[in-house]
Amino acid sequence: MSAAATPQTQLDTPSPRALQREEREIAQRYLGRVPWEMVAWGLGNFVLWLSLWPLTLSGAIPLWAGFLLATFCVTVSYLPSHEAQHSIIGAEGSKLRWLNELVGHVSTIPLVFPYRIAWITHRQHHAHANDPERDPDYDNKGDNWWRSAWNGAQARQPGVRNGYKRVLESIDDPGLERAFVESMILDLTYYAVLTTCAWTGHAIEAALLWWLPRHIGMTYIQLFLSWAPHHPMQEKGRYRDTRAWRSPVGTLLSMGMEYHLVHHLYPKIPLCQTGAAYRAMKPVLEKQGIRNDGL
Amino acid sequence: MNATRILSLAYQSGPLLFGIAFLAPLVAQVLEANQLPAPFGLSTIQFGLAVGVGGGLVAKLRGTWI
Repeated sequence: MSAAATPQTQLDTPSPRALQREEREIAQRYLGRVPWEMVAWGLGNFVLWLSLWPLTLSGAIPLWAGFLLATFCVTVSYLPSHEAQHSIIGAEGSKLRWLNELVGHVSTIPLVFPYRIAWITHRQHHAHANDPERDPDYDNKGDNWWRSAWNGAQARQPGVRNGYKRVLESIDDPGLERAFVESMILDLTYYAVLTTCAWTGHAIEAALLWWLPRHIGMTYIQLFLSWAPHHPMQEKGRYRDTRAWRSPVGTLLSMGMEYHLVHHLYPKIPLCQTGAAYRAMKPVLEKQGIRNDGL
Repeated sequence: MNATRILSLAYQSGPLLFGIAFLAPLVAQVLEANQLPAPFGLSTIQFGLAVGVGGGLVAKLRGTWI
């Protein structure tokens, strides 16, 4: 069709490729900064959680306060590791790589979620979001939040072949063997600590500082990092497998996941920049047909 | 029996081990903290072990605690 015969509206509409270029240029402005706040968050949160043990066991703080603080620490422990999984703190070969790996490993110890397993499976989530077979987070699908919480809890049960197990069995990642060894060490440490505490008269403290906070934290993380940004988990594709959404509990309590769309498009943008990046990109993204549920 | 085999067995019997190693003393200590007697004339740890082993076995057979 000649330009003369092309309707004016069609000429005014930039091609998807041009839009993507524009989108990428905006994204560049938010890339490259070392998120020191995530380093402090990851390491500081781990130290805080660790300090709750002597503080609670010595009676310096009441057990109920220890439980509330531990639940908070465990719940917020994942995101710094998530930044490290995407090498945002220090790319491979950079001089901050050691810090990236330290934050990645240490921050999720309270959650008993091994860094390398998290990264290997998270890569699959990015590559196959909302795919019932290949997205490890698909088990968190649910018509509403309580259904999702229940489905997620069921998927974590010992005999269930959940999305994580399915994905780990089906992929051939060179880092898998090392990831399994590290995972086993973390698991064994967790159960050894629980057992030692329990048989030395501190079972209730162990339950309220680690065991129960871990289950609560895991459920909260699955709801806000997995279910809410992808709900209803039906569509696939760059602009449709996740969404921008207005959280009823606000940005902080939903851990910045209202802008999860930006994370899937540009995973190396630090979490604290995704809101600003979204606002800058929004006009372009809307032309690309994103899912925007009220943001 | 090598370490891998022992670990594999431990993983396979996970819920039962968890019931004995953690749930049993937890149940006993919760009863003691609340000054509640164990039923059927059992000591608190005997009752805890009954709950831990029973629950762990059921979880092991069903593949789920819930």
